Amino acid sequence: MTAAIRADGLTKRYGDTLALDALDLAVAPGEVYGYLGPNGAGKTTTIRMLLGLHRPSAGHAAIFGIDAWSTPVAAHRRLAYVPGEPFLWPALTGAETLAYLARLHGDSDKAYGDLLVQRFKLDTDKKVRALSKGNRQKVQLIAAFATRADLMILDEPTTGLDPLMEMAFRETVLEAKARGQTVFLSSHILSEVEALCDRVGILRDGRLVDEGTLGELRHLAAQTIDVSFDGPAPDLRGLEGVHVAPAGRSALRLEVSGGVGPVIAALAEHPVATLTSREPSLEEIFLHHYDGSTGSNGRAPH
Amino acid sequence: MRPTSSVARRAFAESRISTGSFALLFAVVAYAQAFGYDASFPTLRDRMQFAESFADNMALRTMYGFPHDLLSTGGYTAWRVGGVLSIVAAAWALLAAIRVLRAEEDSGRQELVLSGIVGRRGAYLAAITAIAAGAAVLWLATLLGLVGGGLDAGGSAFLALAIVSPVPVFAGVGALASQFAPTRRLATGMASAVLALAFVTRVIADTSAGLSWLRWASPLGWVEEMRAFSSARPEVLALPLISGAALLTLAGAIALRRDVGSGLLRSRDRSSPRLGLLSSPVALALRGERGVLVAWLAGVGIFAFVIGSLAKTVAGAGLSADLERELQKVGGAAITTPAGYVGLTFLFLVLALSLFACSQVAAARSEEAEGRLETLFALPVGRRDWLGGRLALAAAATVVLALAAGALAWAGAASQGADVSLSQMLEAGANCLPAALLFGAFGALALALAPRASAAIAYGLVAVAFVWELLGALLGAPGWMLGLSPFHHVGLLPAEPFRAVAALVMLGLAAATALAAAWAFRRRDLSAA
Repeated sequence: MTAAIRADGLTKRYGDTLALDALDLAVAPGEVYGYLGPNGAGKTTTIRMLLGLHRPSAGHAAIFGIDAWSTPVAAHRRLAYVPGEPFLWPALTGAETLAYLARLHGDSDKAYGDLLVQRFKLDTDKKVRALSKGNRQKVQLIAAFATRADLMILDEPTTGLDPLMEMAFRETVLEAKARGQTVFLSSHILSEVEALCDRVGILRDGRLVDEGTLGELRHLAAQTIDVSFDGPAPDLRGLEGVHVAPAGRSALRLEVSGGVGPVIAALAEHPVATLTSREPSLEEIFLHHYDGSTGSNGRAPH
Repeated sequence: MRPTSSVARRAFAESRISTGSFALLFAVVAYAQAFGYDASFPTLRDRMQFAESFADNMALRTMYGFPHDLLSTGGYTAWRVGGVLSIVAAAWALLAAIRVLRAEEDSGRQELVLSGIVGRRGAYLAAITAIAAGAAVLWLATLLGLVGGGLDAGGSAFLALAIVSPVPVFAGVGALASQFAPTRRLATGMASAVLALAFVTRVIADTSAGLSWLRWASPLGWVEEMRAFSSARPEVLALPLISGAALLTLAGAIALRRDVGSGLLRSRDRSSPRLGLLSSPVALALRGERGVLVAWLAGVGIFAFVIGSLAKTVAGAGLSADLERELQKVGGAAITTPAGYVGLTFLFLVLALSLFACSQVAAARSEEAEGRLETLFALPVGRRDWLGGRLALAAAATVVLALAAGALAWAGAASQGADVSLSQMLEAGANCLPAALLFGAFGALALALAPRASAAIAYGLVAVAFVWELLGALLGAPGWMLGLSPFHHVGLLPAEPFRAVAALVMLGLAAATALAAAWAFRRRDLSAA
């Protein structure tokens, strides 16, 4: 099956700056893919090359097998895009903008568009120049989702939305997913990605440092175990793959990467009172990759 | 005072390229006229002959104003330089005022400044201070040019002062327009209309018998009434100073009272959908540019009509062959017939249409700078199609303007019973097109290759080429160098024959340049501001 998005060795330099470094990416049709990274990691650069707006310095990108740079118009018939900054025509009203964008796309579901206008509570008689950033973003979201395109490319689409609208956005993405549309969601709102995405890629300094389902990422990242003891806490330093932090006189917090077997064995020799273990949240996985200066393995020592 | 002065310094620094280019233009023009007159008319006899035929020439009066003294280098320079540069100074002033007062608010930056410890009064005064500093730079540049051209320092200082004297008035007009209009674009349109009115008033005063008192009704007429280098009247300077101060005070009072980010004219923020002209990017561009096109049509049309209606009054005087040759150097041939008059003034129409073509390129660039092309090109819209459509629209609009100018010039001439035919005048209008389209194509290539600088490059090329056409011959440049300016290849229709080869070469070059632009535009990264 042809991938909805495929990037091979995608590289972009702006002058001396390496914005994207040999990115390989494959997003399957029907997948909701979360693209995570801090500001300046190269998320928007990736999207601009997926859209053929910027020219790759090396490598190439394809949308459903159609080359993004050499045949952009054909590629764009299969996708819809929501930019992070709402760039619209200030003198047009919301309704006029929706009509214009629908005509340019050529294929748009008017009834679904009307439903989205209701759902996002957009006042379509207002001119764009009088709309707040969040409301402009709604216009872009409605225009994009109304196309029901096979692939939705969303670049931080909810940064200006209030929590109610954020829920409307999630509902809309899940509808698209149920219909079999592919969604590429660049974001740094982790709860959103956690709630919506099947698979997540984490970008850092122009390189994909981690990729997988949330389950896989959790498995790779450190697990947190809080232990309290009857009596003073023992010294557990020196265990392979375990970071130990004291949590009071008789408690420890252990960050375990890899298997927990050695930890259990070590704890068995001590009077354990309580033990709680939890999976890392996406936030912790994310911070794990960006915290401090270490590479992709291990948490930086505190 | 410190934060306010840093706001003023910031505003001044942001306009340094624009003010610097204007200053250079002023210095070069001032120098070349003063130097060129001495070189072209060394003896009193030459000058007498020149003055006799020029004193009553209406074509030259339209462009340069009323000549008070053509026998001295200073008097001649004041006439040739004063009329033109004072208009440019007025345009600079209104653009500068709108930039610091309206564009800053339009972009939302003003909110940031006012949320700090700079008050509204301080911010307004800082803006005005920055304009005053810019005007001082223009004054100094003009003075240096005049003195460099061999004129005495005292007289030069006064002439330079007369040239920048419209600055307070038109800064005031720009400031007031910035209070009324909620957008930069509307403010520029309103203020430019006032400048056009002032220009037309001056032209009528200078060319119509019995109406010379009208000169006092136009700030551009005041410049002439200062009579630099003939019988200087420094007291006239009080007029622009007082009216400028009044306008600026009024604008300041409004600025202190209204909501930041709004204008007194409320923009209509709601409307029921109007779905016309939304079918393609070109249609939307036409929808967005409609107001601008109508304004240009009105401006060019009024100019052409006035030119046409003045054509008949031009005196037909025989000229000696020697003088004819000298005339070539200062403005063209056979300007003593109605047809010749129209032909020469239509050279300014070529300039206007070239600037219009550049303004269309600048409008296309702003679509990119403001990020909208990113939205557009993520849709199934091809880049070449988009640029091609924009250029076709610009070309079509330029053609409409040119033909309208020809038709209205004919209407003006016919109303006075002058002997020119409609087809002749339509040809004269169309004759302006090859050069204007060539400049538009150069602008498009700049857009494709150097997007951020494209507007400056496009306008800059027109300005340099036009100044070179006016000054090159006077400075004794060889023919091939004069030929570098497209303006040099425009036949002065209807007085001169149509230069078919030159027109075809320019059109071919324009087409090739536009194709190259489309090719290069497809291959580069989009670049927002």
